[in-house]
Amino acid sequence: MNEPRGFEEIQRELEEIIARLEHGDVPVDDAVALFRRGEQLYAECVARLQGAELQVEELLPPTTGT
Amino acid sequence: MPKVEHLVYGDRKVFTVSAFNRGIGMHLGRLPALWVEGEVTELRRNDAWANVFLTLKDPKTGATLNVTIGRRTFDGLALELAEGETVHVAGRAEIYEQKAELGLRATTIERLGLGGHLLALEQLKRRLAADGLFASDRKRRLPRVPRAVGILTGADAAARGDLVATIGARFPATKVVVREARVQGTGAATAIVAALAELAGHPDVDVIVLARGGGSFEDLLPFSDESVIRAVAASRIPIVSAVGHEQDTPLCDLAADARAATPTAAGALVVPHAGDLELTLLASRRRLRLAVRGQLERGRGRLTRQGERLHVAPRLLLERRRAALDRSGVRLQALSPLATLNRGYAIVRTGGEALRSATDAHAGERLHIQLAEGSLAAHVDEVHG
Repeated sequence: MNEPRGFEEIQRELEEIIARLEHGDVPVDDAVALFRRGEQLYAECVARLQGAELQVEELLPPTTGT
Repeated sequence: MPKVEHLVYGDRKVFTVSAFNRGIGMHLGRLPALWVEGEVTELRRNDAWANVFLTLKDPKTGATLNVTIGRRTFDGLALELAEGETVHVAGRAEIYEQKAELGLRATTIERLGLGGHLLALEQLKRRLAADGLFASDRKRRLPRVPRAVGILTGADAAARGDLVATIGARFPATKVVVREARVQGTGAATAIVAALAELAGHPDVDVIVLARGGGSFEDLLPFSDESVIRAVAASRIPIVSAVGHEQDTPLCDLAADARAATPTAAGALVVPHAGDLELTLLASRRRLRLAVRGQLERGRGRLTRQGERLHVAPRLLLERRRAALDRSGVRLQALSPLATLNRGYAIVRTGGEALRSATDAHAGERLHIQLAEGSLAAHVDEVHG
């Protein structure tokens, strides 16, 4: 959970959780745990979207000595 | 044709170095005049010299050829050649006798015109298409939300600025990794290939944009260079080509995974709109909440049904037992002789034994007759067997 993950990856996990809850029977304890995880992923996505500022990184060409 | 002098040592013919070089030169002089194509490098011209010297380079292999042309002829062509330009040179092979250096004695030089370039491009395009480099099934899907966008750009502030601004406005929650490279003139193709490899090697870059604003046909040529096209086609990371203006079709457009007419359009291709994404996320959360509610309700329903069954079960058991008992009672009744007596039958006994046959009794014998209610004592008058 601590590794820096891409937005797309987090969003995919959220979608998978929703799909599991929408289809098939999930034991109540699991359903609650999945829901908590889903809310957490949603919050993480929103937090990333809001207040973000575009980062710009410059790659410098390797110095060739010429 | 003059003969080349040689010395004689016994039976051995020996040439001086000069004679050898001259002899080779005479042989070369018999070769036909022809055209050679190459890139101009090391152009040396001086008003004091009778000749202009330049080196022609094969851009693919790096092979070089020395070219000499009379200064007056050269000046008369008024080409104003720049380094790196592709030219056609007409001439004959010759040797500089003093050093046995092979070269081309030029009679004229022509800059490879638009027609020539177009022809060469068309041939290259056909060859690369035959190799399958432009096939649509090779194209990779662009990531929906890239962790970082790699931008390969020249010192072209406008294209870069437009692209970065578009990405920043649409989806600021990402990163751009900018790599400037020489994108026109000599060495541009090599520089582009190297920069592409660097961007593809960046751990966060999920998509790369080739951002090059408009330019002359020649300026855009490096983006049609075979090495660049092969690098674009082979890239592990999807590439969007935003090179030149809409009417330009550099060959890298065909090899790239997507093509954008402008840097702004490229920006819209590589990142989603944050507002749209937020709406999608909101919809996801709504579905999440509905789905978990559904699961919990299903769980509650299950529990209620189980509880009901738990309550009902003992009563059911009892009822089942009672019914079974009732059935046993009925069967027992049916078998009881009392039930038969009730229907009007009687049991006749003599000496305690039930009588089944008239002949078992004798006249004058005393009988005991049991009825449903009470009993009688009687005497046999006659026996009919």
